[in-house]
Amino acid sequence: MERFRVCFAKSGMLKYISHLDLQRTFLRALRRAKIPLAYSQGFSPQPRVVFAAPLGIGIEGINEYLDLFLTRQMQMELLEKRINKQLPMGLIVKNICSISLEEPAISALIGAALYRARLEMDPGSLQQNIGNLLSAEQLPKERQHKKGKKQVDIRPFILDLWEEEIGGSRNLFMLLVTGSSGGARPEEILELLQLPELRKGTILTRESLFFRVGEKLLTPGGAAYNNINEVKAWREKLL
Amino acid sequence: MPSLQSPQLLLRVNKPARYLGIEINAVHKEPDQFQVHLALAFPDLYEVAMSHLGLKILYSVANAVEGVYAERVFAPAPDMEEVLQKENKMLFSLESGTSLQDFDMVGFTLQYELAYTSILTMLALGGIPLRSADRGVKVPFVLGGGPLAFNPEPLAPFFDFFVVGDGEEVLPEILKLYKEWKAESSAKGRDDFLKKVAGVTGVYVPSFYEPFYREDKFAGINPLAEEASLPVEKRTVLNLEEAPYPCSFIVPFMEVVHDRATLELFRGCSQGCRFCQAGIIYRPVRERTVSKLSQQAKDIINQTGLEEISLSSLSSSDYPYIEELLEKLEAELDENIRLSLPSLRADPFGVKLMERIQKNKASGITFAPEAGSQRLRDVINKNITEEEILEASRDAFRTGRGHIKLYFMIGLPTETYDDLREMVKLVQKISSFTPPKSGGRGNKSRVSVSVSNFVPKPHTPFQWEQQLNIPEVKRRQLFLRERFQKMKGVDFTWHNAENSFIEAVFARGDRKLAAVLEKAFTKGCRMDAWSDMFSFSAWMQAFQAVGIKGESYALHSPSYDDPLPWDHISTGVCKDFLIREHQRAVEGITTGDCRWGNCAGCGLEACSKQNGKGEQI
Ligand code: SF4
Repeated sequence: MERFRVCFAKSGMLKYISHLDLQRTFLRALRRAKIPLAYSQGFSPQPRVVFAAPLGIGIEGINEYLDLFLTRQMQMELLEKRINKQLPMGLIVKNICSISLEEPAISALIGAALYRARLEMDPGSLQQNIGNLLSAEQLPKERQHKKGKKQVDIRPFILDLWEEEIGGSRNLFMLLVTGSSGGARPEEILELLQLPELRKGTILTRESLFFRVGEKLLTPGGAAYNNINEVKAWREKLL
Repeated sequence: MPSLQSPQLLLRVNKPARYLGIEINAVHKEPDQFQVHLALAFPDLYEVAMSHLGLKILYSVANAVEGVYAERVFAPAPDMEEVLQKENKMLFSLESGTSLQDFDMVGFTLQYELAYTSILTMLALGGIPLRSADRGVKVPFVLGGGPLAFNPEPLAPFFDFFVVGDGEEVLPEILKLYKEWKAESSAKGRDDFLKKVAGVTGVYVPSFYEPFYREDKFAGINPLAEEASLPVEKRTVLNLEEAPYPCSFIVPFMEVVHDRATLELFRGCSQGCRFCQAGIIYRPVRERTVSKLSQQAKDIINQTGLEEISLSSLSSSDYPYIEELLEKLEAELDENIRLSLPSLRADPFGVKLMERIQKNKASGITFAPEAGSQRLRDVINKNITEEEILEASRDAFRTGRGHIKLYFMIGLPTETYDDLREMVKLVQKISSFTPPKSGGRGNKSRVSVSVSNFVPKPHTPFQWEQQLNIPEVKRRQLFLRERFQKMKGVDFTWHNAENSFIEAVFARGDRKLAAVLEKAFTKGCRMDAWSDMFSFSAWMQAFQAVGIKGESYALHSPSYDDPLPWDHISTGVCKDFLIREHQRAVEGITTGDCRWGNCAGCGLEACSKQNGKGEQI
């Protein structure tokens, strides 16, 4: 068996499909592309494709990840080409690398995500509000659960917030804890900052996913940052 | 991106994936590539519409016609309807976001009566006047096809024309005719096209006919125009093998009701169940060959990447080469592609087939004995014995299946409480069989009983029968519920009696019912098949407002001599045969399946086996 890590983008109209829809869509594209998928054992064998982290409806993701288990070795360029030929408009594989079978499941490693909100309308000064959030001890937030409402403190899930001006327009960046043991959703931060929600035209992008190892932030694709400031510095270099 | 599919709309509704229109295999054409713009409309939600084979066939057939662009338009979910109304936007097509009113033609699939109000909703939201008489030159032609086109009268005022029978040959003919007309003579007005299209076999233009009544009762229908043929003959695709089939099924993003590819093994069914309309209107039986089907299976998987293929037909264990087909598919398809057989006979052969294709036993098996007693099964001509049902169930449990689902109908002609007692006994016996040790369903039930209500359908031997009244349906449901509740490992579900009543009224309706339909629509009725949307009281108010009693349709048994509102639409099966079958039903005499045995003399001229004339057997 071989394991590959696929970095892909989900954007355009496809940001409106759910995580389950995305999984289905990918699997069907892989089957059309005749990729030799490995299957799990048991009565109803499932193809072994593991997605890093679900992305909410309406948010685009430009560096999303999934792990692919294949029954045999394949040349990575060929793999990328074949998959891209079969993906619907709005999904694209950006690159593929080989990964050791020994590594833990990608979904278990994800610990943080960087989001960018494009602020279409001028929201006035945000510095004050951002400062208030970051200096707050606690940020209780009501969440709707299956069994009614629940109060959650989301302050520990906010790693950092900052503003950047890109090409003349303003952007809010949010580095948030995410993953299987809890996290904050970017929409919650928008609400706390009294910024317009997605349906009012705010465009939200997940720029990157990270594994967290102590202070360190590592992307599933292999880039490593020693701390949050290095992530910010990398962002600035992009400008 | 069409402006209608903007974030402002899409993020305000649940499941925006319903409205994207860019699924794999969706067809996109530029405006200079077509002259005729057809909307294929299905009056239900995306997930239902995208499960319907007929729509997919027509989509590919229409798009293959030179100069034609066919798109999909489905009923908006209530949340989308609200957004459209608030924003003052029109109902739009999925592929290009075009408003319904800007198409040349809008073709509705007519699949079940409880979707009728949704048709009116879609017309209204699409900016199209409800009644064909009110439509001007620029308004699209509204057509309808599907099983309910065999009694289209309750819909007559809302449609410009109907297509009766198989659509895959006749639709291209209509589109070509329209293309010529649009280019050359559209200045002559709508009626000019309707006259032309009325000449196509299988097309029914209701405004060219006028029903008449005696003492308020339907008494017949008169043709008003030279072009109005009587009767209207259905269209039949005789060579299914060569008929177009869409191997490039659209691949939905979201989960739909039948989330799988479909192979159509054959069309039609000759078992002759006397309540079944499909068994009459799709005659004769037409098969595809094993080599054709296996080729289609491979093409479908290649072009869609779907993980499951359903081997579909009205009764798949009747396909004579079913084992050969399974063998070929197993050999030729990837081992991870699942096969499913949706309509198996409740006999040991059915279980054997199921055994072979479905390794996942937790998913259970479904049988449809329809009636609980042998007497009643003989009345409805369900040619299956209690022995076969029991043996099939025993086999199913023995081979490891943990769950059996049973479908029955109540309110069938001649049914008494004794027949219900027999049903209870049959279920009792089945539930007493030892289930497998590891059924995989934990403490869940082993037997699920689902009971629907008999609806007497046009063109069947039971068209002269009536439905049970609602209180009596409920009494019988209660009778069963009390007994099934006490049984361990059995769960029981039943259909809403009021729902079935409305279904019966419109199944047997005449043109006068159109007013009730329109009233119900203005009172907010839509998507009546969804129990959370159905409002019986709104329907009752609509009947009252128009001054029509639904009971006179559903609870009335006409005599053989009474003219019926659907008599002018011909299925090719003669009335004498239906009368004979009705009489045999009452006497409890069964009629064999004409596929294996003798011709039963239904009079179908298109049948290669017939003795044709409908002679007494
Ligand atoms: S004509 Fe005879 S063989 Fe053909 S469908 Fe009718 S009953 Fe069956």
